[in-house]
Amino acid sequence: MRPENYRPVSHPPSHEYELYFGPNHPGIEGNYAIRVRLKGDEVQEAIADGGYLHRGFEKIMEERLWIQNVALVPRICVPDPVPMEECYSRAVEQLGGLEVPARAQWIRVMMLEMSRICAHLFTFGGNAATIGFYTNMFWGVSMRDLFLDLFEEITGARIYHMYITPGGVRRDLPEGLLDRLAALLDDLESRLPDFEDLFFSNTVVINRATGTGTISAEEALAWGVTGPNLRASGLPFDVRRDDPYLVYPELEFEVPTMKDGDALARMMVRKAEVLESIKILRQVIARLPHIEGPVRCPLPNPLAWNIPAGDTFARVESSKGELGFFVVSTGGAKPWRVHVRGPSQMHAVQVLERLLARGRLEDIAQIMFSLDACPPEVDR
Amino acid sequence: MTGSEKVPVVTDQPETCRVADAEEKSLLRKVMDNFADHCRSRSLFVLHYCTGCGAIELPPTITSRFDMERVGVSPMVTPRQADLLLITGYLSVKTLKRVILSYEQMQAPKYVVGFGSCTINGGMYWNSYATVKRLDQYIPVDSYIAGCMPRPEAIQQVFLDLMAKIDAGKATAWQDYYLNYDAYLGRQMNLFGQDWHTPTDVVAEAKHYGYVGNGTTGEHTALLDQRATWSLDTVPELYPARGRNERSRP
Repeated sequence: MRPENYRPVSHPPSHEYELYFGPNHPGIEGNYAIRVRLKGDEVQEAIADGGYLHRGFEKIMEERLWIQNVALVPRICVPDPVPMEECYSRAVEQLGGLEVPARAQWIRVMMLEMSRICAHLFTFGGNAATIGFYTNMFWGVSMRDLFLDLFEEITGARIYHMYITPGGVRRDLPEGLLDRLAALLDDLESRLPDFEDLFFSNTVVINRATGTGTISAEEALAWGVTGPNLRASGLPFDVRRDDPYLVYPELEFEVPTMKDGDALARMMVRKAEVLESIKILRQVIARLPHIEGPVRCPLPNPLAWNIPAGDTFARVESSKGELGFFVVSTGGAKPWRVHVRGPSQMHAVQVLERLLARGRLEDIAQIMFSLDACPPEVDR
Repeated sequence: MTGSEKVPVVTDQPETCRVADAEEKSLLRKVMDNFADHCRSRSLFVLHYCTGCGAIELPPTITSRFDMERVGVSPMVTPRQADLLLITGYLSVKTLKRVILSYEQMQAPKYVVGFGSCTINGGMYWNSYATVKRLDQYIPVDSYIAGCMPRPEAIQQVFLDLMAKIDAGKATAWQDYYLNYDAYLGRQMNLFGQDWHTPTDVVAEAKHYGYVGNGTTGEHTALLDQRATWSLDTVPELYPARGRNERSRP
């Protein structure tokens, strides 16, 4: 384009202006964009603009074998991939009538809770950075890295584990891993007071986050909010407790809730959930050595593995909220249809748009990070 | 080079610029270029654009455990001040448009690193209808990291390799974009449609930097010249005008 051909757009005189917030913006979480209409710094209207990370998962999965999809599903949500594997595997197990051995169930719970801690530590960092606290980001990310080291030891990969497969898990735990996990949990627990001092009981944070992006309990139900965001509005629903799967009925844990439903309450709920996850992991460490047996039920040849016809829905509690897989099989070697019901799509589109419309320009990043939406899972 | 040889020095810029041959450069120019390359290799600003899932390994690389700032690599928020564009994983067609816009806004010399298998051959998404399979068809790439997902050590290694390459004056992919702009633009038009154009006048930039080759202009850049006027309103798919996609609130 030649500069002499450039014609600037003329707008009628107005107090309002439109701002493209993202995708190339440090205040946005991942590759995502919001178009906001502003009057001064008050947001009049926000329109979520997704699709930057669309890969067409639901279509790709129809063209791959049941076992090949195990490698595909963790990529749906990058910061918290284990619930995706668990959810897909359980859907296939329900269709194929597979029985997961007891030891594999306990290992799966361990992986799920470790992933939850990782995702929450990552969110602490992102959330703090939006208010200007970069130290917290450094601490959160480096603590998470120690968990990633354990993941690497168990599965061979830091981010995408592909460890949970239909029928169990890929292989047994390495020698002495539970001791190292116990030591790491002690380490994390001894550092949480530092997080508390620096961030959660900091007056600046409390003033800034109180009343920002408030969701009332009625709105939360009407808008389809799930997970920690729902519990921050005072509704104690947790799939692990209310529709239990794996060995969660045998575990003792609480479902932390807050009343206010604002950004601060959402952070506090996540902080309490990290403590609950530590509690669950300690129970797993105590029980797992006494459970012997295989870690995977016998599977047919995975390259010629036909799943009986039928449809099923499986759901888990991920760190972002309630995650569901609807899988339809026609008896073939590939799924006929897979639908992913992710929590982030509700949080990052309809909830975010409505919350931003009540907010100000400087709160956009904070509201988005406090909802903990995951853009790869929004677009899928 | 001996002192008795006459070194042709380009003093007047002719009307049509061309690339100076290595022998034509004066000794002073060579020393200055080498010095500038050395300095550039020691302060790389990475554009803060998380284009795909590889961005999840960037926070560990930036923060205290691996700490890439100790080798002189630091994040930067605007494309105008960034040197390095990281394509962290797969690119959907919608993202590729923004990536090309960001890349063209960056000041030369600029470098591109492709993360993971997805930028090389499509990787895990080789049969996806939504993603771009080969990144180097649309923008020139200096280095790749193989694998999915690349580890922080691999990311650090690619930074060190790129620094050595810049220091040696071999990280010249950005010149390829100017020398073969018509081919790049043609492939972009194949993907986005014949109306595709960006606000940056790449041909004028190529003349400014002196990298005008046989492939700089051609049938595709001729399409750009034919366009009489350009404004934000004529690019609805990139900048949706207000009113489009507007929804009523309950």
